[in-house]
Amino acid sequence: MKTQNLIETNHLTKQFGKIRCVDSLHLQVPQGAIYGFLGPNGAGKSTTLKMILGLTRPTDGSITLFGTPVNGQNRIRLLSQTGSLIESPSYYGHLTGEENLHILQTLKGCAKADIDKVLRIVRLEEARKKKVSHYSLGMKQRLGLASALLGFPRLLILDEPTNGLDPSGIQEMRELICSLPSEYGITVVVSSHLLGEIDQMADHVGIIRKGQLVFQDTLETLHAHARQQIALRTGRPADTLSLLRRNGLEAAKDEDYLLIPMIDDERTAALCRQLCEQNIPLYRIEKREKSLEDIFLSLTGKETSL
Amino acid sequence: MRTLLLEFYKIKRRKIGLTITAFLAVQFLWGLWAFHDPTPAEQAKGFLSLLYSIPILDAVMVPPIMAILASRLADIEHKGCTYKQLETLRTPGSLYHAKACCGLLIIIVMFAVQYTLFILLGYAIGYQDSPDAAHYLLSYGLKLASNSALFLMQLALSMLFANQMIPLVVGLCGSLFGLLLMFVKMYSFLPWGGNLNSALVMIEWNADTRQASYFYREYSPVELAAVGMIFVWLVLFYVGGRLLFNRREN
Repeated sequence: MKTQNLIETNHLTKQFGKIRCVDSLHLQVPQGAIYGFLGPNGAGKSTTLKMILGLTRPTDGSITLFGTPVNGQNRIRLLSQTGSLIESPSYYGHLTGEENLHILQTLKGCAKADIDKVLRIVRLEEARKKKVSHYSLGMKQRLGLASALLGFPRLLILDEPTNGLDPSGIQEMRELICSLPSEYGITVVVSSHLLGEIDQMADHVGIIRKGQLVFQDTLETLHAHARQQIALRTGRPADTLSLLRRNGLEAAKDEDYLLIPMIDDERTAALCRQLCEQNIPLYRIEKREKSLEDIFLSLTGKETSL
Repeated sequence: MRTLLLEFYKIKRRKIGLTITAFLAVQFLWGLWAFHDPTPAEQAKGFLSLLYSIPILDAVMVPPIMAILASRLADIEHKGCTYKQLETLRTPGSLYHAKACCGLLIIIVMFAVQYTLFILLGYAIGYQDSPDAAHYLLSYGLKLASNSALFLMQLALSMLFANQMIPLVVGLCGSLFGLLLMFVKMYSFLPWGGNLNSALVMIEWNADTRQASYFYREYSPVELAAVGMIFVWLVLFYVGGRLLFNRREN
């Protein structure tokens, strides 16, 4: 059975003046997934998420939420099944954490008991009576997540939720996000410019570069792109190259090295033996792995920052 | 309704009540100082004179108060970047409407208290005439309309601009406008002239006898048009503000 996509965008485009921030995006977020929306700073992640939430009007294209195309009439009804945390947490500094949640609980029309539950989930129970202006950035971020979780929506959209958190806060937030689909049946879209972060949380990945989606599939598929290779450095590269060809191996030059696809240990030993028999000095033999980071950089362009 | 009630919940600890109390206290103290020793002529027409004095006082004092009220209501949203969350739960139009209603309800109470205080003051001083209910109600209604228009203008500015200095400067300039317009004519088509338009009583100053006499104003067609303009501003600022708020993007 095909899994339903909770979010689907079709040719979603946003243009500011002459600049296309988001260019014909076809996003597909399957139900129950943790969808990592990855891209360098300024790639168009936040603009895309804002368009999905109706905070910014698309220049072109359409958005389907929970299988229903979004329009002006049904936007609020569809979004009532979502929670969001966009860019920075939203809060009233002069009110306590609990009072902040009371406002959203009333607007969402969910049970009052949800306030206690979400405070417990984000571990803010002890600070519930404290004014939010006295919260640390990490606490505000956790309150933002608690606000998004109120009513336990079907879909949670988190834009860079670990921004400004210390390492332990990041770890805590990560664990929390990872537990949401299994414990509460929530589908999560989490955006980040950090590959490592998405690698540790997501099971589906969308990579955006200059407003265009350059990759969208499971994290497993992305990992499959991480090819292993063997690098050889010998005294006579030209002879080595012909020997490799005779063995049916395509080699690519990388500075002083010749790169060949990964082969098993037996074949590696045979190759070394042949090099010795032909008096080709073997200086180095190394296993090389194209990391996820390399793939990300090749997809998003090396000039962009991580 | 739920959204409106939340507006009152949100302004907890915002000291809006304190600001309004301070404004009313200043006006009341000024009244005590200015009217405490009336001449027999003033005492005879004291309640009539109040229908002149209160709007004049308001023309100068109310514009900044409206700016402060609107700013206190709107800046909590800017400070906490809450629109991007609220607008996923309610339409921008309904959020705008709730804020406007919240402010207008505060204004209704504020001016009701103001009139009550001045009437009590009149009795305390011992004015010999009695407050004419019809004129006082009409004056109160016109005051509400003109200052609601001012409030809605300020609210639109406060909700559209994150930097609250812009609407506050407009409010302060409004106070100066109120003062200047008084010296030009007792009516104006500008939003800040509403308080002058709603003065139902006029004054005639006799330099020889150094006596002021008060009489009910007979509105000329131009003055009536200026009163009508109050309602045009009221609708224009509400509809315009709501439209602009709807059109903006987060």
